[in-house]
Amino acid sequence: MLVLNRSIGTQRLLLYGMLVALAGFYLLPIETGLMTSIKTNPLSTAPFLPPGPDGLTLDKWNTAFSQLSTGLINSIVLAVPATVFSALFGSMAAYGLTTLNWRGQLPILVLFIAGIFIPYQAVLIPLSKFWAVYVPLDELLAALWGLPLLEPYHGDLLALIISHVAYGIPITTLLFRTYYRNFSEEMIAAAQLDGATPARIYWRIMLPLSVPMFAVTLIYQFTQVWNDLLFALVVMGPSEGAPVTVPLSQLGASLSEIGFGVRMAGAFIAALPTIIVYIIFGEQFAKGVAT
Amino acid sequence: MIDKLTRFTKTITRRSKALFADGGTVQDGGDESALLPRPSGAFFGSLPFWLPPFLLMGFFVYGAIGWNFVISLTETSGFGAVDYSQLDGEQYTRALGDPTFIEATTNTFGLLVAFTTVCLGIGLLLAILMDRKLRFDNGFRTIYLLPMSLSFVVTAQFWLWMYNYNNGLINSITSTLGLGRYRWISDPELVLPAVVFALIWQFSGYAMVVYLAGLRAIPTDHYEAARTDGATTFGLYRRVIIPQLKGATISAAVVLMVFALKAFDFLYSLTGSYIPPEGSDILATMMVRQAFRLNNQAYAAAIGIMLFVLAIAVIAPYLTYQHKQGEL
Amino acid sequence: MATLELDHVTKGFDDGDETIIAVDDVSMTIDDGEFLVLVGPSGCGKSTTLRMMAGLETVSTGALRLDDEVINDVKPKDREVAMVFQSYALYPHMTVSGNMRFGLEESTDMSDERIQSRVTETAALLDIDALLDRKPAELSGGQQQRVALGRAIVRDPQVFLMDEPLSNLDAKLRSDMRTELQRLQEDLGTTTVYVTHDQTEAMTMGDRIAILNDGRLQQVATPLEAYHRPANRFVAGFIGEPSMNFFEMDVQGEQLIHSTTQSQPHEDTVTYPLPQDARHAVADGTQVTLGVRPASIEVTQAPGPVEFVSKVSADHDFEAVVDVVEPMGNENNVHLSFSEKNHTTFVATTDGESNVATGQSVIAHIPESAIHLFDGDTGEALYNRSHTDTEAVESVQ
Repeated sequence: MLVLNRSIGTQRLLLYGMLVALAGFYLLPIETGLMTSIKTNPLSTAPFLPPGPDGLTLDKWNTAFSQLSTGLINSIVLAVPATVFSALFGSMAAYGLTTLNWRGQLPILVLFIAGIFIPYQAVLIPLSKFWAVYVPLDELLAALWGLPLLEPYHGDLLALIISHVAYGIPITTLLFRTYYRNFSEEMIAAAQLDGATPARIYWRIMLPLSVPMFAVTLIYQFTQVWNDLLFALVVMGPSEGAPVTVPLSQLGASLSEIGFGVRMAGAFIAALPTIIVYIIFGEQFAKGVAT
Repeated sequence: MIDKLTRFTKTITRRSKALFADGGTVQDGGDESALLPRPSGAFFGSLPFWLPPFLLMGFFVYGAIGWNFVISLTETSGFGAVDYSQLDGEQYTRALGDPTFIEATTNTFGLLVAFTTVCLGIGLLLAILMDRKLRFDNGFRTIYLLPMSLSFVVTAQFWLWMYNYNNGLINSITSTLGLGRYRWISDPELVLPAVVFALIWQFSGYAMVVYLAGLRAIPTDHYEAARTDGATTFGLYRRVIIPQLKGATISAAVVLMVFALKAFDFLYSLTGSYIPPEGSDILATMMVRQAFRLNNQAYAAAIGIMLFVLAIAVIAPYLTYQHKQGEL
Repeated sequence: MATLELDHVTKGFDDGDETIIAVDDVSMTIDDGEFLVLVGPSGCGKSTTLRMMAGLETVSTGALRLDDEVINDVKPKDREVAMVFQSYALYPHMTVSGNMRFGLEESTDMSDERIQSRVTETAALLDIDALLDRKPAELSGGQQQRVALGRAIVRDPQVFLMDEPLSNLDAKLRSDMRTELQRLQEDLGTTTVYVTHDQTEAMTMGDRIAILNDGRLQQVATPLEAYHRPANRFVAGFIGEPSMNFFEMDVQGEQLIHSTTQSQPHEDTVTYPLPQDARHAVADGTQVTLGVRPASIEVTQAPGPVEFVSKVSADHDFEAVVDVVEPMGNENNVHLSFSEKNHTTFVATTDGESNVATGQSVIAHIPESAIHLFDGDTGEALYNRSHTDTEAVESVQ
């Protein structure tokens, strides 16, 4: 027995060793980036090592932040409404196609769900033409730009918001559908008999009960919109209104190795909101799978 | 991603069963009421809910694809209005004779296949390691999944630095090991494998999570039955466990392929321009370059349509499968 | 006040190319203030019938009338019906009071104060006034059940529809609630349709019961009528616990012959003399099913050795062997078979104090006055036990 125990113990140790090594693999590029971003001279020590005693600096973060701050604000202005509206639309569509059950809804549903997998390259040219030529919001809404806090580039940003809402609807619909499928059918019937119209049922029953799913959908969609580069490039390009991914992709491109400090700092600044969101969400998710 | 979230949703729902303490959908005796369609008036009642999102989404997704298809049949190049007077398939034949297109297609398939299979392999291995009643398993899982939450733009920055010729960590390791230094990004022979490696780093955690959920869904008595039958650990996994992970493999593979098709952001960020490092051009980057840098709109539209067809070839069987499983 | 009438109501569902008939040409009238129980096995169409009454399902053909007004196309909310569901279907995010208010808020213009007083009144009636501020998840199953009832009662509907409302409760609570529901319904006097698959509930609760099978209405009758004068073999077998014993018999002159083999009368045949007044009901040479309730079979211990028993000449006495005894406390369910040659088994209910044991030889007396005869093909009742017995059984219950 003793021998057996010992061999099991060794096995466990080996297993944990491997898992820790793998964790190292997944963390190393991120850790290396972090260390590089706080060194006075990125080349002073090996990339993954912490800076020497005199080499610690936040200059890189300051530089990166000043270059990205407009982009960060734009990203927030973009991601918050785009996320909220696509979640809301997804919840509405899922309610209309799941809880309210009617014949022939499957093809509609398939169109919604297939939308998740569309390669965006197939819509880019029409998308850019639509906003640039047919519905140039910055010109159409010219009267608004005189108002305080509003600038003409907010027209582009609005176009990008609408685009993200539209392309986010398929995944949010699927998420809410999965959730609504498990709702008690009798509860909905009870509400119907209580005299509630579909709209009232949605407002008084579905929405209050959807709070946990809204959390999931908002978190997911926020990450998607925040991380997007392609739509931002196509709808507005590297303009004043561009979200943070656009300036980040250009950041330090012209610089030599020295510039990597700024690049890394910029990458962290741009990624921080999603990392924070993920760590909260990831914990929930991990527990969810474990149960 | 979809499955991950779908499962999470299911978990939430399971937990909310306490919330739905009315017993949820308990149907004693399996009476017929559970699956019955509701009154036919439901169609009109449901319109205000799904039609607005459907129109918005339909216009931007399917309307745009249709429009894009028409553009792909024209000769349009440069800015300005599209001339719809003459429609033909010339852009498609042009693509077939274009060495750049052929190379981008080869690269796309290479990336898809290498990325998907290696991701699945690593994911499965990780899942098997993780599925051993570990302590801190939540912590490990969070770490393995962390890269996935990052934007392609961000991970491209990290890997540019990792792959840096003089000071990158990868070259430090290879040179320490006596393997020499390599120009990972600027060598056309190496760049695609290097990109695939970075993408695997970013997404293999996802495959792990899908597999882990699949493994945990297998009842423990399967393991015990195989053990009492005298199976070795290897034999147990090869003959009992892995065959049961078919569903997980299909779902994960489809989602990974979709990620790979969206790798544009990563390649763009490597150079900060529409021209990716030589040797790493894929259909996604070629399309955007043709459209927004070289102004060959009709040609770019045709490439977009071909990518769409490629995606449909993957998605259609998958959705049919999901529908048959009652998961749709 | 409210009479609900089903006039040749049929419901079909499309399943691909086929149409599945869930409810087939059902006609019945539920009188004002009546408590009608719809009973039948799973999938018999009883829930669908109830849901048509509620307006949750459309009526395919036929008419549904509430006080002589066709309500086929009236929306659920305009029907003035309230439904209690098996799962209770409470709104989990609302308090008990919120659950009860919801219907009044959505379907009436009542002022807040009036709604509040109605809710308080109803809660007092159901003894849930202390729970008004709790959420459903904080309540026990029985309490949730009361809230579900309260939600229906507070709306003061024309008709209550109840879909297996007690089936999620444990046995003790269920029988308490049964009594309480009956009392409530009597006090309120509201027309009630109650769906259940439990024949005990049907027998004890309904003014009348409607028995459904395969979407078809088998019989509408008072519980005792259904028990003593079942319209057909299905009803006879469904109502009553343990179920009625059935024997397939051939009519041969004035005898009913039961045989497990097709051979000529032999040792294994059981012969039962056809009662005088039943002779006109059955034709010679046809097949019938003889039915007799376990409670009607009298079991006495064989007075002597088997050889002696076999000489028993009384026409209605049969030698039998005890297979299994299920003690129920006040009575025993005794499973019997005729003999080693004829393995046909049947059940008799005996006094709990009588001591019969497995393997024992007994005499089973099947009184002429207790038998039912059903058509061998259609199952339709040809002859039911003499009605005078009804009163006797009634006094027992």
